[in-house]
Formats: sequence, structure tokens, C-alpha cells
Amino acid sequence: MIFSARVYAAAPAVAGSVSGTDGAPVNDAVVFVQSPVPEPDKSPPMQVVDQVNKTFVPGLLPIVVGTAVRFPNHDQIHHHVYSFSPTKTFELPLYKGEAAAPVVFDKVGAVKIGCNIHDWMSGIILVLPSRHFAVTDSSGHFALNDLPAGTYTLVAWHALSKLKPEETAQSVQVGAEVANVNFKLPLTPARPRAAMHGTRAEP
Amino acid sequence: MRWWDTRSLRARIFIAFSVLILAVLLATLGLTQLIVGRDTGRTLSRELRTTGQVFQSLLRERAIRLQTNSTLLASDFALKRVFATHFDPSSYDSETLASAGLSYRQRIGVQLVWMTDEKGTLLAASPGEGRIGQTLAGFSPLKDALQSQAPATAVVEVDNELFQMVAVPVLGPDVIGFLMLGQVIDDHVAERLKQDTHSDVTFLTDSGVLASSWPESTRNDPQLIRMLPEVRQQNPRLLNMSGERYLSLALPVVANLEMPLYVLIQGSYDRALAPLHTLQRRIAIIGMIALAGALVTGIILAGGITGPVRLLVNAMHEIPRGNLRHRLRIERNDEIGFLSRSFNEMAAGLEEREHIKDTFGRFVSRDVAEAVLSGRVPLAGERREVSILFQDIRGFTALSERLDPVVLLRLLNQFFTEVVAAVEAEGGVVKQFTGDGVMALFGAPQSRADHTERAVRAALGIVTRLASLNVLLQNNGAAPLQIGVGIHTGEVVAGLIGPDERIEYGVVGEAVNLASRIESLTKELTATILVSREIAARLGSEFVLGRTALLPVKGTSRPVEVVEVLSGPLPAP
Repeated sequence: MIFSARVYAAAPAVAGSVSGTDGAPVNDAVVFVQSPVPEPDKSPPMQVVDQVNKTFVPGLLPIVVGTAVRFPNHDQIHHHVYSFSPTKTFELPLYKGEAAAPVVFDKVGAVKIGCNIHDWMSGIILVLPSRHFAVTDSSGHFALNDLPAGTYTLVAWHALSKLKPEETAQSVQVGAEVANVNFKLPLTPARPRAAMHGTRAEP
Repeated sequence: MRWWDTRSLRARIFIAFSVLILAVLLATLGLTQLIVGRDTGRTLSRELRTTGQVFQSLLRERAIRLQTNSTLLASDFALKRVFATHFDPSSYDSETLASAGLSYRQRIGVQLVWMTDEKGTLLAASPGEGRIGQTLAGFSPLKDALQSQAPATAVVEVDNELFQMVAVPVLGPDVIGFLMLGQVIDDHVAERLKQDTHSDVTFLTDSGVLASSWPESTRNDPQLIRMLPEVRQQNPRLLNMSGERYLSLALPVVANLEMPLYVLIQGSYDRALAPLHTLQRRIAIIGMIALAGALVTGIILAGGITGPVRLLVNAMHEIPRGNLRHRLRIERNDEIGFLSRSFNEMAAGLEEREHIKDTFGRFVSRDVAEAVLSGRVPLAGERREVSILFQDIRGFTALSERLDPVVLLRLLNQFFTEVVAAVEAEGGVVKQFTGDGVMALFGAPQSRADHTERAVRAALGIVTRLASLNVLLQNNGAAPLQIGVGIHTGEVVAGLIGPDERIEYGVVGEAVNLASRIESLTKELTATILVSREIAARLGSEFVLGRTALLPVKGTSRPVEVVEVLSGPLPAP
């Protein structure tokens, strides 16, 4: 939501949409500049993946490489956050509140996080090469701002995409006009894992 | 039927009893065989189906347990961590993964632990190390688990062994691999099923037996495979397994094999029928005892019936032999008792009649006796017309003085024998012996229309027979006998006369006296045969009559006309 606020704050350099092969708008797709990669930010602001009601909030967090992420636990129970992703393998064994130290994501790639106690808790931290990325809204639209004029290669990523981001690459010329880029992503059907809220719930 | 008819009553009772009991016995055995046999078949079929259900539910239970165990194992964080190492070839720890597999096999008592990556490539296998690196993406249950990203189970064949296998995803938090556990379905499983259900269990496909509760020798019998097509209809069939009949039911097992998998469930039909055979043996023994009992009862019963019957038959045989004194001593109230009482009454009646006839015969001729006994003579008395003949030896007094008494009686008896013969030859009855003469009746007790002629012919017969006797006497130097015969006819009263003990048949009336008088007239007229006018009037022309005289008779006022009879038709020989 904070991104969408930013989308409409200034005139975008690139705008477009992401849709499925069936034409349906794709929400929560991340469109980012793959190349050329500008100098990474020296100290990107710390980000937060909260744990509320046995859910990661937000479920998808795109960040610039080098960003530190805090994993505060706002539930009354312990969580055990981990990731086996080669991009960032880490483990925050059983803790409550703010006990866990922030984790710095220093490699580009998708990091799938889970909780060892709650199988259904799942989240993705997408570590991106630069701060030039945007997330599609519910109508599949995105807008990239603050891009200096030049030629860029844009890619689209989605959790269910059958394509690797580089396979979606599109070249775009950024100038005075708003460049328009549209992506079509073949998606695998979503397979939500049932969550259990409350101690007496049945699977 | 002829044969049956010629059997004795005793034999018939025996045979009837035996046939009846045998029939009941055979019917009982047959019905038992039919009903219990059918019931046994049904019960056994039901048991086989139950075993089938037990097996299916056992498979289900095992699958559930296996899946639960697998899911729990797959949730182990340490395992997840080891699994996750495969994402990075540099840190991939295949040895730890393999040893974890070995450890899990022991931990939960499964025979197979396989681990694949999230795409189905085998990472670790115990057993089956040789397969590592192969993809199992098309191999159930992994195929289904890959598709559903959820646990899946299947019955599969691995190295000629049947496994129940489960594949569960390892989550980290997305699927980072699959854990596959397999529990073998082998002879032990079949044995355990057999222990629980008493049915032999065999797992087989068209190409061979995979596991069985049968011993090696029986299971390798090729007929087990051959008969599969026969029994795979869901109806049980009887199969011969090494000399014993087995009701066999083949049920399909959902499995991921190249050929359909069946579980063949077999229960011994012969053993199931054993209680029936025991029952039948007992029924047969009871039947034989019943048969023996029936035979004994039959003998006693038949003896009870035929014994008295034989006594009756023997008694009956006594009657024609003349033994009328024979009596039966059977004191019963049934038909036999009735029959023997009837026999006794009959014999008593016969004896009495014979006694009467004997007694009678001494005084009267058999004719009279029979006529009286047959009831033809009204014993109360009746009036009827008869002819009365009196005969007398002339000069008997002088003769009796002259002759030796013994000789005299012999002479008399000889003479009377002839007289009786002559009278009876004409159907007359010698009623009385008067010392030297007889009185004879014609027309009583048996009624004869021609009694007058009969009487005259009898008189002529006496004369003729006397002539022969006289020739004999003369030849012996004795003087010939001379007789006189008087005959009259008239109405008399005939019947039984005298007190009870000495009762005899007789006639009374004027005609009797007159006949006697006429006889006494023969001396006066020196005639041999004199008849009254009433007689003479009735004689035919064949009789030659002589003189006629009207003579006064003692005791009557009127003179009587008498006619001499000289000769007549030849007497009956």
C-alpha cells in the first residue's frame, strides 16, 4: 500500500500492467530494473516483517539488497522463523516480541521464510538489485518513478510465475514521456495452505 | 408285489420298519447335507468377504499410520535443514540425508525410506541406493504427491516386493522435497491376516505370487496363477489346493503395478464342512441305533402280532384233523383277542354239534341227526304225513331158545345191518330196534314226497337182502329166517321227544300203531309184506300186489283193508 502511495505521488517514468496468460490482472507481481544496476544504496532503511495472528505481514516484501529486516513477533506465542533459501539461509529460533536480531539480506534473490512451529506460515522477501521496483495493485498496474532517462531492462517476478524473472525481460526507453510496459506471466494455480487459528481448530 | 405277498407278516413288519427308518435317516442326512452345506458355503463366503474387508481396512489403517508417521518425520526441522542443503550443491550433505533415512527406518519400523527433491529426483534411498539420481516423478505415490503437493499413498512393487508406500512433502515452508516411506506387504502380513481371519491370503498378479500365507510348495503351484481368471469374478469359487477344497475369492487391490493386483482369500471348504460331517456321522449312528431299536421293537411287535396269529393258524389246523377240543388261551382285548375268542367259540360250537351228532347218531341215522342239527327239523314238533314200516322176525322166540346167545346176536346184527342198509338206501330212517325187528320212518325227519313208494321199496329190499342172508344161513346148516313187514301211511306228530339227556327224534300218532298192527297181521295171512289200503293206492303199476283182506285190528273198531305186496321195481343196488 505504501508503494501505491508512492506511485501516484509523482509522475512515473514507466507505467504498465502485469496480467496472466488469460488476461486477468496479476496482483502482487514485482516489476524491477534488472540492468543496468545503479549503485546500491549505502544504507537502505530497515524493513519489517511482522508476525501477527500467526501470519507474516506483509506476506511479500521486496527490498533492495543490503537491507536489514526486523522480524518482530506480535503474537503471544513463540515463533521460529527460518529460511532454507540459498539466497539467505537463516534461523531465528523460538522468540517473542523484539527478541530477534535484524537479518541483513545481502544477496539478490527470493527468500522464502517460514515458521518451524506453524507450517502454514509462509512469506517471501524478494531481495532486488536496486530500489527501482514496483508492486502491482489489485488491477495489475504498476508505476516506476525516479528513473533517470536511459535504456533499462525490466523484468517481472511473481510467486506463482512459471517463468524466471530474466525470461520476462523487456527493454524500455525512459525519457520525458511515460514509458509503457506490459508483462504477461503464466502462473501456476495457487495452493494456499490452510492456516489454523485457535488452539482447538482442526486441520 | 408277488415277492412282497409271499413274505411272512413278521418279515413284512421288519422290512416296513427298516425301510421307514432308513428313509427318514437318508432324508435327514440328505437335508442336513443340503441345508448345512449351502449354509456353510454362504458362511464361508461371508467370512472370505469379511477377510477381504479386514484386509482393505488393514491397508487403509497402515496407510494412515504411515502417512501420519511420514508427516511427523517430514516436520522434523533437522530433516528439513538437511533436505534444504540440496539447493546448494556446495553444501549438499547427501551422506547425512542417507543416514537420516536409515535412522528413520529403525525409528518407525518401516522397510523403505526414500527422499527426493521437490521435483522428484531421488536424493537418498534405503534400500535402493542404486536408484539415487533417478527421477521418480512418474512413480506413484510420488506422482500424485507432486501433483497435489500433499501426502499420497499407493501399493507398489519394488524389486519383486510389494510395498505400501506413502509420499509426503517436506515443507520449508514451500515444498523442498518429498519423504517416501514404504511398508512391505510380505508373507508376514499374509500370515497375520491368516491368524486373524483363518483364511489363507495370497497377493498376486497374473505374472506371479508376491506374498502368501501358503507354504513355498503350495504357493509356487502354477495353478494358483492359472486359476486367477476363474476366481477374479467377485464370486467365490471352489478350488482344489493339494487335495483340499478351498472356497476362493479374489478381490482387486488398488495398486500402481503393471498388472492388476489381487488378494486371493481362501478358506478350506472341507474344514468348514467338518462339523457337518461330524453331525452326519452322529445322525448316522443315532439312526443306526434307532434302526436297531426299531428292529428289536419290530421283532417284539411282530412277535406280539404273529405269535398269536401262528397259534391261531395252528389251532385252525387242528379243526380239520378233528381236534375240536383245542382252545386258545390268548387274553387280549384287541383284534387278536377277538379272533381267538371267536375261534374258541367256533371250536366249542363245532365240538358241541359233533357231540350232539355223535349222541344222536347212535339212536338215529346220520340223516336224522344232520337234519335236526341243520335246523331243518322243527324241534318243537310238527304234523306231517309219513310212512311207517314195521318189520319182525317170525318165530324169533323159538329161534332164540334154540341158538347160542352169541350166535344169535351175531345173526341179529348181521340181519339188522342189512335192514338198516335197505332202509337207508331208500332214504328212510331206522327209528327203533325192537329186539327182533325195527321200526323205520320215511318222509321224516327229511320230507320226501314219495315216502310211500320208498317204504315199500325198502321192504322189498329187506326181503331181497334176507334171501341172500338165508342162503348163507342154509349153507351153514341153519334154518332160514322168515320175516313180516307192515307199512302204513298217515299223519303223525314228529319232533324231539324225551327228557333233555335222553331226547330223541320220534313220531307219535295213530298211524304208528296201525302200522305195527298191520305188521302183526302178516302172521295171520302168512304174507311177507302187507301194506294198508292208503299205501297200496299210491303205488305205481310196477308194484305187483297180491291178496287183499279186510281184517279187524286190535284197538280199532273198524276193520282195516290190507294189501299184500309181492314184488316191485328192482330195488336200488
